[in-house]
Amino acid sequence: MISHRDSNAQRISALDERAEALHLKPGMGIADARAMHPSIDIVEADPEADRRLLEGLADWCDRYTPLVALDGIDGLFLDVTGCTHLFGGERAMLDDILSRFFQQGFDVRAGLAATPGAAWAAARFCGDRIVVSGEEETLLAPLPLAALRIAPETRASLESVGLRTAGAVLAAPRAPLARRFGASLLLRLDQALGRLDESVSPRLPVAPLSVERHLAEPIMQTDDIEQLVGRLATALKADLERRGEGARALALFLFRVDGAVSRIAVGTSRPLREPRLIRRLFHERLTALEQTIDAGFGFDLVRLCVLSVAAFDMQQGDLAGEVADDEADIALFADRVRARLGDGAVLKPVPVESHLPERAVAIVPFSETPRRTTPPKRPGRTQAPMTIFPPERPIRLFRAPEPIEVPATEMPEGPPLRFRWRRALYRVTRAEGPERIAAEWWRQAPGDAAAATRDYFRIEDADGRRYWLYRQGLYGGVSPVPPRWFLHGVFA
Amino acid sequence: MAMTAVARETVFALRRQIAKIEGTLPERLQAPAGAPPDARITASADLTIVRRGLAATLPDAFLPVGVERLDAALSGGLPKAALSEIHGQETRDAGAVAGFALSLASLVLKQAQGLPVLWVGTSEIFHEAGFPYARGLHAGFGIEPGQLLFSETPKLADALWVAEEAARMTALAAVILEIRGNPQRLDLTATRRLHARAMAAGRPVLLLRQAAAPEPTAAPVRLLVAPAPAAPRATVAGPLAGSIGRPAFTITIGKSRTALPGQFTLEWNPDEHAFDERRGDERRGDERRGDERAGEDRRTANPVAVVSLSRGRKDPAAAPGAVLAFPAAGAPVTIPPAAGDQSSRQQRATHLGPRRAG
Repeated sequence: MISHRDSNAQRISALDERAEALHLKPGMGIADARAMHPSIDIVEADPEADRRLLEGLADWCDRYTPLVALDGIDGLFLDVTGCTHLFGGERAMLDDILSRFFQQGFDVRAGLAATPGAAWAAARFCGDRIVVSGEEETLLAPLPLAALRIAPETRASLESVGLRTAGAVLAAPRAPLARRFGASLLLRLDQALGRLDESVSPRLPVAPLSVERHLAEPIMQTDDIEQLVGRLATALKADLERRGEGARALALFLFRVDGAVSRIAVGTSRPLREPRLIRRLFHERLTALEQTIDAGFGFDLVRLCVLSVAAFDMQQGDLAGEVADDEADIALFADRVRARLGDGAVLKPVPVESHLPERAVAIVPFSETPRRTTPPKRPGRTQAPMTIFPPERPIRLFRAPEPIEVPATEMPEGPPLRFRWRRALYRVTRAEGPERIAAEWWRQAPGDAAAATRDYFRIEDADGRRYWLYRQGLYGGVSPVPPRWFLHGVFA
Repeated sequence: MAMTAVARETVFALRRQIAKIEGTLPERLQAPAGAPPDARITASADLTIVRRGLAATLPDAFLPVGVERLDAALSGGLPKAALSEIHGQETRDAGAVAGFALSLASLVLKQAQGLPVLWVGTSEIFHEAGFPYARGLHAGFGIEPGQLLFSETPKLADALWVAEEAARMTALAAVILEIRGNPQRLDLTATRRLHARAMAAGRPVLLLRQAAAPEPTAAPVRLLVAPAPAAPRATVAGPLAGSIGRPAFTITIGKSRTALPGQFTLEWNPDEHAFDERRGDERRGDERRGDERAGEDRRTANPVAVVSLSRGRKDPAAAPGAVLAFPAAGAPVTIPPAAGDQSSRQQRATHLGPRRAG
């Protein structure tokens, strides 16, 4: 039995069959129930877990149709238009759904109809019924008002005027109904009867392409899954070729026998359609996820979806049928590494227009640079003039400048004589500088600590190691904070 | 005679094949002492020398460092299709170690135009020694930011995997793998895998090991790199006191099957992207080097070497026509008035001079 808190009282929100047999009802106070039956077992309601369970079931229902929508907290809509013949007709499909849910330990009611409204009513008030198109009115007529999916207030006021079944409402003249109970009642009626279209919004975007394979014998081994991915990708290739496209994002759905669904997605840097390469990408991803994917008793349905596509440029091979394309090799390499180790595993530097050293290069995840079709822009007047002697820059830069202790400098604004970095003392033998680099005032708020001017020095210690130090702030300046020293990078 | 030559060639070819299967490094012996030094560099493709029963391969299996003594010691340079270890004694030497590896990568890129360089490292080393800075690499080593790829992984095992996958690719010019310390995972097996892949792909894999003690690995060559004080900058008025010039490294050959142990001080020339060796007095190295090179490079010692002269071309100062009019300072200037040389006052631009109103 499950309890929930409603207006300051613990009440029964859901209960199982044995509790029902004890004449307990939802909405009854927990104290009353305990008084009647002291031995009942009560669990606090957890709406979050319920929602997760429902979403898991929705994932699993993906095997019947890609159009699955959540309905409230306890229902699912499946748009099976055009899918039923894959499962041997409507009856067989409904039986399959019911039996599989039963095997998973769920007590479900299902209805199948031409309109969502009628199917909803059939599922909740008839159970396991298939309504043929055109028979919605005969289905609804004997059902109570709740079958019309109307608000409780509307239902109460309808009952107060003596309309107690859906059939009575259907028989009543429309104009007075609309005037008295609002347009929503008629809307629901029309939707249930199919006079108005009602769309079910699926919870996941529908993939442009997907192929799947139902398996008579569940598979568990990663090798088998990979082999199957290769075959599915072969089937996918024909479709992609027909559309002239390649896949940019792929997802593999593994439907476990007991209802759990694993979704494995990979992205590619350039459009891909070669089954061998798709298989290699999933090989890396599956290897990385080996610990987290639990095969359990095996997967009985494997589906490969193309989530996004892009135009595929055909390439001319040479007579031996080989295409030597280094960029494609690198893109594939990067994709494999990222499939295994995550997006940040392959990085590339991108120069940024900034004079601040740490901002002058952005490190971004690798992605294919779009091929330039137009000639590069001519350097305009906005570009900074090139200097003959560019400023010396270190080859390694610390992500965060490391604070160093500087006991004394020869001159107030000069380089340090010695400094302490990571607890070791360094004696400065030679120094070049300063190179003054001011902060980007157009980015920072005034008074910001990071906005202080820096004086960079290139120094060499007694052993010949070359470092890049800077002093943040000025001596005797307006800022009350004394200057601090940092080590920012190392030279070759 | 001809028969024996053919038979010998066959034997050498077979030995080469066996060496390739066995994964033995190609080796080349120093040319006979009597041979002119140029013969080694322009060694013809069919030069095969046998050493300890192993066949040597073609000269382009090596990456010449460009310093004659070091190349000779390494019998032709660093092996191009192999794993090479570059050690630094302490983590704070990471600048020198990375700088030396990058200069090697820069030499590789001279031959493999446009291919990217992948730098693999663990998060630990990038945090301890700093992340490679693309602006500095471009300025110092001519490696464009578009040619750089980095891979940062939190775990060593992942870094090794990335490096292994990268080592078998021919689309990369070089792979740099940077590891700190002596981890258990980087053992003989792991390095052998890297070495085998590098050999198959024909691309160098540089294994940078910061703060590591030498231990047995499959790498045929191990170089120990330490920073060396830089020579001062050269200016018109001689070396600029107190300035820091080009990057300098001290290279020690730690392990090599062919080389004798030796120590070299190399200086990287960021303008030409080439190494120079420095001998003797460090602080005055610039001038000395100029003198040494004067003969071998067919280049006159240019006292005004503020910017490096291009190495590929002939020095324009060496082959001018007759220098006519630079008399010694203090000498009386007597230039005979030549007819075509100087224009007389009357001839000279009458329209420029003040015209007398007639």
